[in-house]
Amino acid sequence: MGSPGLTLVPAIFTIDPRSGVPIYLQLIEQVKRSVAVGALEAGEQLPTVKQLALDLTINPNTVARAYRDLERDEVIETAPGRGSFVRANGTSANARKTMEGVTLDALGTAIRDAKSMGLQRQELTQLMNAALDRWFPKEER
Amino acid sequence: MTALSIRNLSKNYGTFAALKDFSAEIAPGTVFGLLGPNGAGKTTTFKCLLGLSRADSGEALFDGMPLQPQFFDRIAYVPEKSVLYDWMTIGQHLEMQKRAFSAFSARRAEELLALFDLDPRKRVRNLSKGMRTGAALVMAFSANPDLLVLDEPTSGLDPLNQRAVLKLIIDAAADGKTIIFSSHQIGQVERAAEHIAILQNGKLLLAGAVEDLKSEYKIVEGIFSDERISSNGLARDPRVTRVETTGRVLRTIVRDDSSGVAAELERLGASNVRMVDLNLEDIFLNAVSPNTPAGEIVEQA
Repeated sequence: MGSPGLTLVPAIFTIDPRSGVPIYLQLIEQVKRSVAVGALEAGEQLPTVKQLALDLTINPNTVARAYRDLERDEVIETAPGRGSFVRANGTSANARKTMEGVTLDALGTAIRDAKSMGLQRQELTQLMNAALDRWFPKEER
Repeated sequence: MTALSIRNLSKNYGTFAALKDFSAEIAPGTVFGLLGPNGAGKTTTFKCLLGLSRADSGEALFDGMPLQPQFFDRIAYVPEKSVLYDWMTIGQHLEMQKRAFSAFSARRAEELLALFDLDPRKRVRNLSKGMRTGAALVMAFSANPDLLVLDEPTSGLDPLNQRAVLKLIIDAAADGKTIIFSSHQIGQVERAAEHIAILQNGKLLLAGAVEDLKSEYKIVEGIFSDERISSNGLARDPRVTRVETTGRVLRTIVRDDSSGVAAELERLGASNVRMVDLNLEDIFLNAVSPNTPAGEIVEQA
């Protein structure tokens, strides 16, 4: 068959439906991350619920749920009939908060894994410092 | 908009109970996935819903009303086995569909024929299994119904066409249609369905919103210092749906409060306690696993 049903997925959103992480949470994280790193700018329009659901081949209500939560978290705003947009007001503050949230989640996962492998708090602190030294050379400390 | 309410549906074929007291609520504009091994009762459910098979007890309500002849104008059904006429062309089937459904769209039919690369002049007898499935789907979706009942709608289709079918389902749902479908391909259900029910031997094992089930279910496992692990307490723990031990590793499948169960494992002396997310396939296998029915606990000697 031809491929009118297949569209190019926007590069900033990729989800793994087979993951145990709910799809709407994956989407929320990705939108927040995109805002935080500037891939999505203030005032930029997001795809409609239907369009994103079709692009990613996921249930539309899953996308709608992610958008609702993003509105609640003041990352995006939806104007009825016009679509959803990255919030203009306080975007940098939100992005900062978002970056902290994304980082904290990643650190939490790493720490949980390290703990499950039997590392003690002190060892972990040393490892964290070593990692920090690598990414933030001495003069930045 | 069509809400579908399945209430205590039971169906016996002779002494064989094909469906036992199955209930489900399907909200308008949602996609509902029916999962289960062969013979679980999925097709029986569809037949009872549509009056093709008479339920022994229970009922199905459409927007609160029992099935009535005029509802068939708003319902499209794609059965698992092709019911197309061998001697007729696809075009003739669509002509039939046009007369049967007031909302039939010839333009939509053309788009869908192109999507599945089907020639309307072809007779059904000359179609492959996948093409028959495609033709049946073209008929269903071009009828523009409010409720779509799709029994294994992707069977016999190649991956590209399977993806196209999922997109059709998603597109219809985004337009407010209600869809109930069955599939053996859990990955497809995981993508397209908002709610699922897992049937086995005619009984409902598990139902819920896919995203909520994924949030709730976790594997929590830990390593004990010797193999004589006492899992008695965990076996009775209502949060735990299953306990398995392999050597010194104790693995639980937890439906609720995984952090609490992890803390409990640590209290019992486990080290290296970790939590792992479950995807829908894991949840499905946990529910239907023949050796250890859901809720039953495996005790290690």
